[in-house]
Amino acid sequence: MKLIERLAHIDRRILFLLVALAVIIPLLVPMGLPVDITKPVQDIYNMVESLPERSIVVVSADYDPGTEAELYPATEAFLEHCFRRNLRVYMIGLWPGGTTLANIALNEIAQKYNKVYGLDYINAGYKPGGQVMLLSLGRNVADVVRTDHAGVPIDSFPLGRAVKAARDMSLIMTLSAGDPGVLHWITYFRARYGTPIACATTAIMAPQQYPYISSGQLIGILGGLKGAAEYETLVKRKGRAVAGMDSQSIVHILLVIFIAVGNVVLIYQKRKK
Amino acid sequence: MLNTIGIWIAALLTLAIYSFLYKDNFFYKIAENIFVGVSAGYWAVVLWFDYTWPNLFEPLVRRHDYLSLVPIIVGLMMFTPLIPKASWLIRIPLTFTMGVSMALVVTQRVQGDIFPQLQATFLPIAGQSFLTIVTNLLIIIGVVVTLVYFYFSKEHKGILGLAAKLGVWFMMIAFGASFGYTVMARVSLLIGRVYFLLHNWLGVLR
Amino acid sequence: MIKRYLPLIIVFSCGFFMIIAFFIPLRWFQNTSQTLQNWYTGIINFFVFIGILNLARVNLEKIVKKRTDFGYSIVLLVFLLLMMVAGFFMGGTGGRAFLYMFNNFQVPLSATMFSLLAFFVASAAFRAFRAKTPEATLLLVAAVIVMIGRVPVGYWIWHGFPNVVEWIMNVPNTATKRGIIFGADLGLISMALRVLLGIERSYMGGGKE
Repeated sequence: MKLIERLAHIDRRILFLLVALAVIIPLLVPMGLPVDITKPVQDIYNMVESLPERSIVVVSADYDPGTEAELYPATEAFLEHCFRRNLRVYMIGLWPGGTTLANIALNEIAQKYNKVYGLDYINAGYKPGGQVMLLSLGRNVADVVRTDHAGVPIDSFPLGRAVKAARDMSLIMTLSAGDPGVLHWITYFRARYGTPIACATTAIMAPQQYPYISSGQLIGILGGLKGAAEYETLVKRKGRAVAGMDSQSIVHILLVIFIAVGNVVLIYQKRKK
Repeated sequence: MLNTIGIWIAALLTLAIYSFLYKDNFFYKIAENIFVGVSAGYWAVVLWFDYTWPNLFEPLVRRHDYLSLVPIIVGLMMFTPLIPKASWLIRIPLTFTMGVSMALVVTQRVQGDIFPQLQATFLPIAGQSFLTIVTNLLIIIGVVVTLVYFYFSKEHKGILGLAAKLGVWFMMIAFGASFGYTVMARVSLLIGRVYFLLHNWLGVLR
Repeated sequence: MIKRYLPLIIVFSCGFFMIIAFFIPLRWFQNTSQTLQNWYTGIINFFVFIGILNLARVNLEKIVKKRTDFGYSIVLLVFLLLMMVAGFFMGGTGGRAFLYMFNNFQVPLSATMFSLLAFFVASAAFRAFRAKTPEATLLLVAAVIVMIGRVPVGYWIWHGFPNVVEWIMNVPNTATKRGIIFGADLGLISMALRVLLGIERSYMGGGKE
């Protein structure tokens, strides 16, 4: 049987194995390919750099463990930047899995910068209701947030008392994996209250945010693992995202080869007919 | 010790899910059902402690805020399908939530989406550099021809047909870009899991 | 009569009150609108609880009636119960048992489920992504440019590659997505008005009135 006919009927498990090797080998033997910085990421970085110290940044963990591979590194890199700039972090979440997951990063990085819970950062936990809840949150935070993630009354913390409405929030950073998420922060919260919004999204959602960057409704975007890697590079953090970029590159090349070979097979089959 | 056991549990569950790539099997099904059970339990707990108790029940029980009774009673109507004679009551919470959310769709989609996007489409095509004019024209034309493609009240013939065809070309580029990003997303998720297996479980990565 | 018209009165009155309140800045309208939103968020909680109750009921029925693969339903219910016991009786959402189960069961399972798709994308890339028409060719070319240009190897091959990708995202992608946004939003608004006016009632479910 000709090679090309063999390729046409190749067992998909061989393809799976090739993909697995393309991920594993670069992780074990890093190539150290340089990570370029794109404008949407640089714009978020510049925005955080421009905020006065002690400004309050709302970090909305709108994702779950299914997308933690892309958004958790972005969470870490962004929090690192906020704490380094001595900004106060108010965490909340529109998805149930987000705040528990992001809480790990929040506590680890806060500890690194000797930040005090309740004074420099707080986790308000998961709040259901999506877009409708966001409108209530912006008008009067106390209507939505009564306790923090551990069940302690939010008013017992200085930072909890400092955030009463949208006017107290200098920036919203939403780490968004779907619905509810960045779209609702923009169309509901920002439209009503005008607070600047930045986002980190999964790569699948990234293309849909560009119209909002173009219209000025979104400051910028950390799109997928690459976006997280760019931010890690900017804040000089040795994280998982940069470590994964070599594998990402090799797998992409492999998939382009698959597409090319698949089309060569198509041309061959057409000619045979 | 407990941490090590936890990592082993996580790793074995990961491999159980990946066993599906060879073929559907007992280990995969077990892992799948554990996932559903744990996720449902997690959601119930987090929702109760993060919102339901502090926002609905605690104000009623500890501060005698009787206004909290309204969402509680209406919310409990969600359980009325369990009582056949009272099952129609489920329509009350459904219609209330639909009424509120649909009303906000009408106002916010216009204020937060349509108007800003429309404004952003009115781009200058004079008094700019050549490259900017070309870019702006492409964006304006792209928006218009995309909308023309989805206009099905008239047959796509003549100028309309040409515009629709151009819309298709614009969409193919956009969907190709989206496809590229989708591939990137899927691969990133795989990299995350492999990183966990190599770094946290086997400890072969620095 | 009341079973038929009360739900329609609720959706109409709540909905149009919220729309009118958007335009009237008076305190009473804004406060009432806020109260309705808060009630909405409260009621949504019960949607989740009924969903979980339903999941438990369906699987319990499977076990009691000994349907095919009822063993897996036992596993599901056991872990549902374990998670709820860990959360409700062993320290809440910050409790060690709860977080242990979250970190060592839910996180790896959820993350791995989604990561499976990478393999199927690879298989699809080989078998299904064929340039059979000029449009499909254009789609594939754009996809390949983005796939290479978006990762460090693209930058390594040619420093201008990421700029090409950014141009694709900022121009044709933005234009198309914006057109789709207009279409989708107008469709959503017309659907919302149909719901508020009682023309669309499928969300109410069937059953006797």
